[in-house]
Amino acid sequence: MEGVDESGTFRPMLRAGARFDPSAANKPILVFQDVHKAYKADAPVLRGMNLGIERGEFVFFTGPSGAGKSTLLRLLYAEESLDSGRILFMGREVGRLTPEAIPFLRRNIGVVFQDFKLVENWSVTENVALPLEVLGLPARLIRQRTGEALERVGLGGRGNDLAGTLSGGEQQRVAIARAIVGEPALVLADEPTGNLDPQLAVDILGLFEDIHDTGVTVIFATHDRSLLDIRPRRVVILQDGKTIDAPNGLEDPEELDQLQVA
Amino acid sequence: MKSWERAWRGGKNDWRLHMLSVFSVAVAFVCLAAALLVVVNIDSVRNRWASTGRISVFLKATASPDQAQKLETALRATPGVADVNFVSSRDARADIMKNGGGDLLAKLPDAAFPASLELKTVGDPTGEELKTLAARVESLPAVESIETYSGWTQKLGNLLTGGVTAAVLLALVVFGAVVSVVGSTMRLTLQRRRIEVEVLKLVGATDAYVRRPFVVEGAAQGALGASLAIALLGVLYAIVTQRLDGELALLVGASPTFLPWTFVLGTVATGAALGASAAYVSLRRLLVV
Ligand SMILES: Nc1ncnc2c1ncn2[C@@H]1O[C@H](COP(=O)(O)OP(=O)(O)OP(=O)(O)O)[C@@H](O)[C@H]1O
Ligand SMILES: [Mg+2]
Repeated sequence: MEGVDESGTFRPMLRAGARFDPSAANKPILVFQDVHKAYKADAPVLRGMNLGIERGEFVFFTGPSGAGKSTLLRLLYAEESLDSGRILFMGREVGRLTPEAIPFLRRNIGVVFQDFKLVENWSVTENVALPLEVLGLPARLIRQRTGEALERVGLGGRGNDLAGTLSGGEQQRVAIARAIVGEPALVLADEPTGNLDPQLAVDILGLFEDIHDTGVTVIFATHDRSLLDIRPRRVVILQDGKTIDAPNGLEDPEELDQLQVA
Repeated sequence: MKSWERAWRGGKNDWRLHMLSVFSVAVAFVCLAAALLVVVNIDSVRNRWASTGRISVFLKATASPDQAQKLETALRATPGVADVNFVSSRDARADIMKNGGGDLLAKLPDAAFPASLELKTVGDPTGEELKTLAARVESLPAVESIETYSGWTQKLGNLLTGGVTAAVLLALVVFGAVVSVVGSTMRLTLQRRRIEVEVLKLVGATDAYVRRPFVVEGAAQGALGASLAIALLGVLYAIVTQRLDGELALLVGASPTFLPWTFVLGTVATGAALGASAAYVSLRRLLVV
């Protein structure tokens, strides 16, 4: 099940069925402390960024191309390692996880990409079922939960189609179903609408909002300004390796004024 | 989903690639299995000659039937001798002609085929025991010469050593070929399935979980290749032995045998083990988190 702690090295505190630690409920799900990251010494991407995200929040990450949005997300699911500072996810320091513990971290995080990353010659169901198969759940349960996840993204009944035959918008829905099927505490989306036309982009955003409504923390990285303005939501702008926080979105004139000052 | 199911799902999309790998492995293993077959047969011939415990005591042409009779009695009393059988010149000739002696031999008179006493020893004497017994018999009167067949055993033994050495060297080459074929097939298939691998890791699959179906595929390729090689060799063997029609078999004193089942299983198991380790090693370098 989710939060299964096979290795004993990663023990999420706030998962259904997992051991509940009341103190964690009051702590942010995600904390960035003075995070530095440079791929090349002369061009640092992140330069001492700080950020806290509460459990159940919906946060946009935005910023110019190359600002480090994808880098930040990759640090989060331990695809990259940070140079200094700390990232705390559910109270655990991501940068200090052993290689054996990293898979268990990732089972608590769903990730959606711009390019979907579906196995095209597999059926939709097979793609969505993957996170559950990794957990070794019984086939019946996998079928049931996969079906539910597909219903949630509006693809009930399409399970037997080959993933590669679906339209771009549908493929992204499959990817979203795969990200949520394991009921992760955190869902990361790295420009999930980048390949889709504006109306589809709004639909996909709506899906993430639905997911958020079920209590999941969502981080949505995009530089599509029109998406940011649909609803006032917390926006975190990445600039010059640091973050600028706009808790009520970019629509709020007062906030914008403050941003100029910052 | 079991590892082999995942292997099957991944493998069936790339079946052409896998077939190619299986055939290459099979070709390599055919060479090795053929070498083993030769070695096994040399060994069986050698064992046949070594364990006959047979000594032919050829009598002097001047020996009278009475002398032969006395000698036979004496030999029967010799410790280590189980049975003595007198083969007269006529019998010896008939025996050879029965096996297809040809015109030239047929023209020879009976006397050209020396009479002999065929000794059977007790149990399976060692070369040393046979030698002492032979020396004792040779010193008896009326004995022209004796044949213990140990020379043949010796020669076949040497041939066998050579064959085994050659087979071992060949095995090293074949193992190398199998590892490199399966290894590069695995690298290719991994390349084609990198999205699958990337996603697996993204959703929290352990490296072992990611690697397992590939290792199963490698093992399957090795095992299938080896089995195919054995089957192919079996067919070739059947064709060759059908044409052999007993003559050659009689000449060498042993009929040809196919690889014993332990060898067959061993070859298939070796194929599987090599394939699995080739896959494991080639993925180890490519699958770092
Ligand atoms: N693996 C890498 N090796 C070297 N440099 C990298 C690597 N990944 C990213 N970078 C560099 O780090 C910087 C930040 O990249 P990143 O992909 O995080 O930006 P981004 O904010 O996601 O941009 P975009 O909006 O275009 O997706 C860029 O200058 C990029 O060239
Ligand atoms: Mg990016």
